[in-house]
Parts: sequence; structure tokens; C-alpha cells
Amino acid sequence: MSTLIELEAISKIYKKRGGKEKVAAVTDLSFEIARGEIVGLLGPNGAGKTTTIKMICGLIRPDEGHVFVNSFDIVRERQKALRSISAVLEGNRNLYWRMTVQENLEYFAGNRGHSARSVRSEINRLIEQFRLESKRHELVNNLSRGMQQKLAIAVAMLAGTEAVLLDEPTLGLDVETGYEVRELLRAIAQEGRTVIISTHDMPVVQDLCERTVIISSGRVLVDDRVSSLMKLFETKAYSVSLAKPLSQMQVTRLKATFAVLSFADDYKSFTVTLEHDEAIYTLMDILRLERTPVEALDRTSIHFEQVFRQLVNGQVKNHQMRESNHVLA
Amino acid sequence: MYLLNVVGANLRKVAIEMRRYLPNTISMIVTIYAIFLMFFLGIKFIGNPSSAEANTQYMIVTTVMWFLTLMAMQGIGWEITTEATRGTLEQLYMSPVPAWFILFARMLATILLNLVVYAVILLLIMATSSQWLRFDLLTLLPLFFISILGMIGVGFMVAGLALIFKQIQAFLQIAQFIFLAMVAVPIGLSPYLELVPVVRASSMIREAMTSGVSLFDFGANAWLLLSLNAFVYFSLGLLIYKWAETRAMNLGLLGQY
Ligand SMILES: Nc1ncnc2c1ncn2[C@@H]1O[C@H](COP(=O)(O)OP(=O)(O)OP(=O)(O)O)[C@@H](O)[C@H]1O
Ligand SMILES: [Mg+2]
Repeated sequence: MSTLIELEAISKIYKKRGGKEKVAAVTDLSFEIARGEIVGLLGPNGAGKTTTIKMICGLIRPDEGHVFVNSFDIVRERQKALRSISAVLEGNRNLYWRMTVQENLEYFAGNRGHSARSVRSEINRLIEQFRLESKRHELVNNLSRGMQQKLAIAVAMLAGTEAVLLDEPTLGLDVETGYEVRELLRAIAQEGRTVIISTHDMPVVQDLCERTVIISSGRVLVDDRVSSLMKLFETKAYSVSLAKPLSQMQVTRLKATFAVLSFADDYKSFTVTLEHDEAIYTLMDILRLERTPVEALDRTSIHFEQVFRQLVNGQVKNHQMRESNHVLA
Repeated sequence: MYLLNVVGANLRKVAIEMRRYLPNTISMIVTIYAIFLMFFLGIKFIGNPSSAEANTQYMIVTTVMWFLTLMAMQGIGWEITTEATRGTLEQLYMSPVPAWFILFARMLATILLNLVVYAVILLLIMATSSQWLRFDLLTLLPLFFISILGMIGVGFMVAGLALIFKQIQAFLQIAQFIFLAMVAVPIGLSPYLELVPVVRASSMIREAMTSGVSLFDFGANAWLLLSLNAFVYFSLGLLIYKWAETRAMNLGLLGQY
């Protein structure tokens, strides 16, 4: 697979207006995205996801480093690079609220140099695919947030570019619409397009993305296949149920010794990843300290959500990370 | 060809908004008409009867030019500010067509469609005042064409400022009156006025419409100065806009709210 998007050691420092305060939004970030890949860009709030996406689109210029899209420098050869990417940035904010669904589609296509006639059938197809027929002549202002989000994605699709970047496409949607958008994204991915999704919505990542790049404080924390990360945690995840709550001391010990995925609120059960088979004896030793009776000990399935939290909280032991890279290789 | 489609799309957008906000458009027409009427009656009953006709015509053309300049030069400032706040500006910047061209198309569309509206108002006014202006298209078309380029140049400057300084509303309020001065002052007053945008254009359009000065009567010098002024302001406007755009991209201002 050839590389479509390449980030080469990009950095961005914002200067707060008026003040002297500076924010390092992205620091020395590098990764590549191959044609046809579906990548989830993850990270806690303020990690630099939006900044990264906007730098890939050339809407924000990096202070250092380069972004290449289809081997065109997004800063120096912006217009050529833009033939390969489109973006859904602020979702519903990227639309003209005083124009109808169809007018928005036509206007954005027009600004790419297409005549209304030449895109008519494609617009009809998209309106159908995105189930917006009944709203075709409705002002965007009167649409629900989910409808607006779908239209914003349709606008990006109409561009017909090889890659699509989406910043938080399911943000603020109810469960049902979120699911619908996820299915639309899946369809888009299956068309063979390259898709980059920045999101906090872990089911989207678990469901759609082949690979995830997790950034934290503007740096790459993890860059791996979603399935590898899931497998890594899954094979070692155990849920433990107890007859009485853990003591404070036991909780502290567990946290210090293991990658604890979660504790129940009443501390009568927890999920834990065990790094090697012997670790189960260490776990038992900690439980024995208070003679805590064990009711059940099971292999458990985990959600990507837990994996993500683990990775971000930095509770993964270093050798596990190495192992993860090994899985990738 | 594809650039023509960009202009077409923007003509359609401006037309759609004019039609959709028809009450706004109509109230604008009525307002302008009322202003004319007031001026006209004022001149007729209070002014010197011997110069009333010339004054009325002067005022009619000047007002049309003023509104046109406002549309072109100030309108784009508002639009950039709202589009940056809304987020649509970033979407425009995702087009492989350079954003300056899209803005150019937007300003052109705004001016052209407003010219149509003003033509309607002009007819109403001329009928009311029975002062018939001259419409020598052979002279007026090139005059308007060149003037519009100059206006769009200034529009680009305002747009550039709007990208960087989000609070330009206050400036735009004052600019209205600067624009009025620019379209109202006769070019013959001082040679330095050649350096100011739109002044010569407005003066020549006025002469063509009130005194019937024709294409050839103006002389080569007048046309040269007019074109030079329009060209310089168009280029300067574009340069300032591109500079502001780079700065906005460095500071991350294109989509800030
Ligand atoms: N235009 C700007 N000027 C100054 N600081 C900014 C600007 N845009 C973003 N920042 C800051 O840069 C950092 C990274 O922001 P960014 O929006 O890229 O993060 P994010 O990962 O998208 O966060 P979220 O999950 O909240 O969307 C944050 O600390 C943010 O406050
Ligand atoms: Mg963000």
C-alpha cells in the first residue's frame, strides 16, 4: 500500500491572543497513512487532535515540519494537495444554515468548480444514501443536529476525494443517530476511501478503525492496529468478584502492581490485566492480605474504551508496549 | 470553465438569499427609495431652482454608487467574519479552487445582482422625479467593469482585516462614511484624489449618467488613470488578503469562534 498522507515531525505552538501565554498543541508529531486505511485519531481533551487534522488540511500551518498529501506539500502546493482530501470539521457548523440541503450540496460543489448539472445525479445519490430525501428542500437551520451532521458528511463525500477527515463525527448525537452515522462511515470506508476519524466515541474506533493513533499532549502515544491492542489486553483481562470489598491498602497495592482496568464502585469486583501467567499468584497474595474471599475469577472481554483509558493513563508497563509493537511487526 | 462554475454557484447563492429574504430585500429597496425621495423633495423645494436638476441627478448617482460600494467593500467584511465564526469559511478553504477566487466570485455576484436591484430603484426614482438619467451602455459597461475591480480590491483589504481582527464591526461603521466621501467627492478637486480608490470611477460614472459624457469624450488619460487606479487597488487588495490569509493560517484563525 502506498502512502497517501505523511506527517513529518510537525509542531504547533499557539500564542494566546493578547497574552504572552503559549500552548504547545502539537509537538514533533510524525505518522503516515496508507491508501485505503481507516485510522482513528484518539486522545484526551486538548490532546491536539483538531489541530492535527486542520494541519493535514492546511487550514493551520505547522510551525515546524511538513505534511504531504499525495506527495504534495500541503503548505506549498495546497491546491494540488486538496484534490485528494476533504474534511468534516465542526460538523453542523460547516454548513450554510440559511440554505437548504440541496442548495448547500450544490454550492460547495460549485465552489470546487462543478456545474450544478454535472453533480445532480451524484447529489441525488447522496441524498438517498444519507436518507435526507424528505429534507431536501428544508433549510439547514430547521434540521436536527444528526441531520446536519449527515449533510456535512455528504458535502465532504460529494467532493469525491480519496481521503476524508472527520473531526468528532458523532459528537452530540443521540445513540440512534450516532449509530446511523457510524453505519454511513462504515459504508464510506467500504468504498475504499482513506478515512481518518478523530473521536472520543470508542465504539466507533472498535467497530470501524483498523488502526489507531493515540496522541496525548500533542505527541504520539500509541500507533498500532486496533485488533492488536484489543488482543493484547483481551488475553490478559480477568474479572474478579469478591465476597467483601477490597481494603484501601489492597486497592493501592493492586494499582501499583497491575494494570487495573476498572474497579466496581463498591470495590467488590474489578477487572485487571495480568502480564504473565505467574502474576495470578501475586494477585492472590494481595487478596490473601485481608483474607478476601474470591467468588469468581473469569476471563473477560473488554471494550476498547478500557484499552484507551489504560493507554492514556500510562498504566501500561513498558514491556507490554514493546510486546504490542512486536504484535504489529 | 470551472472558474465560471464558481462564479455561477455564487450568483445562485446570492440570488437565493435575496429571494429567500425577500422582505429584507424589499425593505432595502423601500429605504433607498425613501432616502432618494427625501433628497429629491429637499432639493426641489428648498434648493436653488436653477441648479435643482443637476443636484438631483448628482445625488441619485452618488447614492447608487455609495450603496454599491458598501455592498462590495463592507459586505464582504461582515461575511468573512460570520463565516469564520460559523465554520463555513474553513469549508470554503477545503476547495481546490483558491479561496480568494471564491471570495472574488462572491463579491462579483453581490455587486452584479445589487446592480439589478438598483436599476429597479433608479427607474422608480426617475419616474418620480421625472429626471431621466442617460444610459449609454457602451460607456457605462466598461466604466462599471473597471470600477468594480477597484471596489473588489478594497473589498479584499477589508476581508483580510476581518480574517485577523475579528472585531472589525466598529471600523466598518466608520468606513461607511469614508466610502460616502469617496463616491461623492468630484475627482477634479485635487490631483491627490487619483490615489484614492473609487473616486475617479464614481466621478466618471456620474458624468456619464448626468451630463452624457461618452466613452470617447473622457479621453485616453482619464481611462488610463481609471484603469491604473483599479488595477493597483485590485492587486494591492489581493496582496493584503493573501498576507492576512497566511497570518490567519499561522495563528489558526480561519475557524475560530
Ligand atoms: N486557535 C487557538 N489558539 C490558542 N490555543 C488553541 C487554539 N486552538 C487550540 N488551542 C489549544 O491547543 C490545544 C490543543 O487543542 P485541540 O483543539 O487541537 O485539541 P483536541 O484534541 O481537538 O481537543 P478536544 O478533544 O477537546 O476537541 C488545547 O490546549 C487548546 O486549548
Ligand atoms: Mg477537537
